[in-house]
Amino acid sequence: MHLEKFDMKNSVIEIRDLKKSYTETKVHVHALQGVDLIIEKGEFTAIVGPSGSGKTTLLNIIGGLDRPTHGNVKLNGQDIGLLSDNQLIDFRRDHIGFVFQSYNLIPVLTAKENVEFVMLLQKQTQADRDARTLELMTAVGLADRMHNRPNELSGGQQQRVAVARALAPKPAFILADEPTANLDSKSTADLLDLMATLNQEEGITFVFSTHDQRVIDRARRVITLEDGKIRSDEYRA
Amino acid sequence: MGMLITVAWRNIWRSKTRTLVVVGATVVGIWALIFLLGFFQGQIGNYIHNVIQNETSHIQIHNPEFRKDFETKAFIPEAESKRMSLASDPLVSAVAPRVILSGMLASSNGAQGVRVRGIDSEMEQQVTGFHDKLTQGAMMDPSRKNQMIISERMASILKVKLRSKVVLTFQTADGHISNAAFRIAGLYRSNKKMNDELFVYAQIQDLRSLAEMPPHAAHELALVLHDFDGVEEAALRMKVDYPEEQVETYRELSPDLDVMKTQIKISMTLMTVIFMLALIFGIINTMLMSVLERTRELGMLMAVGMNKLKVFIMVCLETLMLSLIGSPIGMLLGFLTIKYLHYRGISLARWSTALEEFGMSDLVRPILPFQNYLWIALAVIITGFLASIYPSWKAIKLRPVDALRKI
Ligand SMILES: Nc1ncnc2c1ncn2[C@@H]1O[C@H](COP(=O)(O)OP(=O)(O)OP(=O)(O)O)[C@@H](O)[C@H]1O
Ligand SMILES: [Mg+2]
Repeated sequence: MHLEKFDMKNSVIEIRDLKKSYTETKVHVHALQGVDLIIEKGEFTAIVGPSGSGKTTLLNIIGGLDRPTHGNVKLNGQDIGLLSDNQLIDFRRDHIGFVFQSYNLIPVLTAKENVEFVMLLQKQTQADRDARTLELMTAVGLADRMHNRPNELSGGQQQRVAVARALAPKPAFILADEPTANLDSKSTADLLDLMATLNQEEGITFVFSTHDQRVIDRARRVITLEDGKIRSDEYRA
Repeated sequence: MGMLITVAWRNIWRSKTRTLVVVGATVVGIWALIFLLGFFQGQIGNYIHNVIQNETSHIQIHNPEFRKDFETKAFIPEAESKRMSLASDPLVSAVAPRVILSGMLASSNGAQGVRVRGIDSEMEQQVTGFHDKLTQGAMMDPSRKNQMIISERMASILKVKLRSKVVLTFQTADGHISNAAFRIAGLYRSNKKMNDELFVYAQIQDLRSLAEMPPHAAHELALVLHDFDGVEEAALRMKVDYPEEQVETYRELSPDLDVMKTQIKISMTLMTVIFMLALIFGIINTMLMSVLERTRELGMLMAVGMNKLKVFIMVCLETLMLSLIGSPIGMLLGFLTIKYLHYRGISLARWSTALEEFGMSDLVRPILPFQNYLWIALAVIITGFLASIYPSWKAIKLRPVDALRKI
């Protein structure tokens, strides 16, 4: 496998004094109220906190899907606040892997085509795409389901294809907002095993939010948000 | 691009029923449009055919003064020799000479202003097929004098029947008013009411001598050619050959034909535009629904790096495919329908009394020139493009964060 190698020295995410307010609504919501955070390469980090504490808001801003009201975000050393909307789309494509809670896959494409999709957007050659797709589908344990469409896969399998899809462009890190929220406990455990393996063996950086204590228990770093601020930040053995 | 086409094509089949409804509507719409256009074209063709057959022929030759006031003195002096040389022209199929007198036709029960066409039965038959319009009695007998054929309508206006006597009052070539008695030998009916109330027929030699015209004179030479498309060219040549006479084609003789053609063209364009508008709204509506349903999916696509241009192109492709799938089928069905109905003819007998006023016969043969199919295809493509703009615009206006939050 030629995935990213584990390297503690590089920080992949650097956030300084991040604030986000929603002012379009009648009652202004201050979803993030000054968040400072550094995530190093190779981390396996959970962002937790009560509903409404700002987990999704934080992940969206880290992922360049939303812009902060204040503060800045550096990804791989690039301040994404300086990128235009179009540059940001390409940046996301090339440097960030996303796994959402649901609607991760294009229903009309097969698992293989879904994994290939971003590489096609990157204009990679057919040979590169084929090799990479096979490698990833094998890594997520679904090499035999390459030609199935999402609705022919279980929820857990779909999320694993989503992980493969997210890994395809060799991103700097993977963001996952409640990736297991729709899964039963067996599938949740399997997905966590997969993510942990990729993290330990290939050094893939994962940042995920969750409500699930069993998922929290697998994380090596747990950042707890409350009212848009970091309340605690713990490293585990 | 290949991927976008694949995705777009598969996307439009996600909601099979909806797509089939749109495709079905397009097929039926285009089929109906082609049928209507073909029907209109057939009717105008029918009308032109009737005008040529019954009134103008392909070309007519007159004394240049004649068509101003239809005066008896405005005749073509050496009409007979001109007729003979025209008849030997290889382009010309038949020529009929006519003496035409304007006058008053009276019976004991009434009177009516008429135009009497003095004809040579045999030659007239070759040019206008007049014989076929006879409904009662027989054609006039050259061995008998002063016979007349009038329309059934005229007969009822004058309250006369076969063998009744009528009196014609007219002007002679030197300007005197004269009159003569005729016996009704036959009744005819054409499909234009207006003409039936005006034209009556007598024998050319009778009128010529009654009007005191020279023995070889006539007012009108009516020609049919072998080839309808050669009319303009032949007319140009005859204008050179007979500079002293007035040579006119059916279009010059009946300028309302061009007006009617323009009208039909406007109606056809309007119908096409209305159809395309309906299509545009149907397609926009369907595509907006489809975009709305896929909000989260589109949000995901943009999140993972599909840029706006590609999203726009994808939705455009979907819209275009949706608009275009049905059209070849609709056009083929329309084409076959027109071909079949052209061969079979559509009978309008039920409405024929109304149509008679306008000189339409009751059998319409729909026809649509090839270029009309091209225009329709082009219009559908343009419609597809126009319809694709708004839904695609809606799609790229989505922000991934908002789209993904919509659960
Ligand atoms: N588009 C928006 N407009 C207004 N307020 C918003 C918007 N998105 C989020 N919020 C508010 O911002 C706050 C943080 O929301 P966020 O979704 O980040 O919380 P969360 O921690 O992800 O919650 P959950 O665990 O329920 O997913 C909440 O109070 C929420 O109502
Ligand atoms: Mg959330």
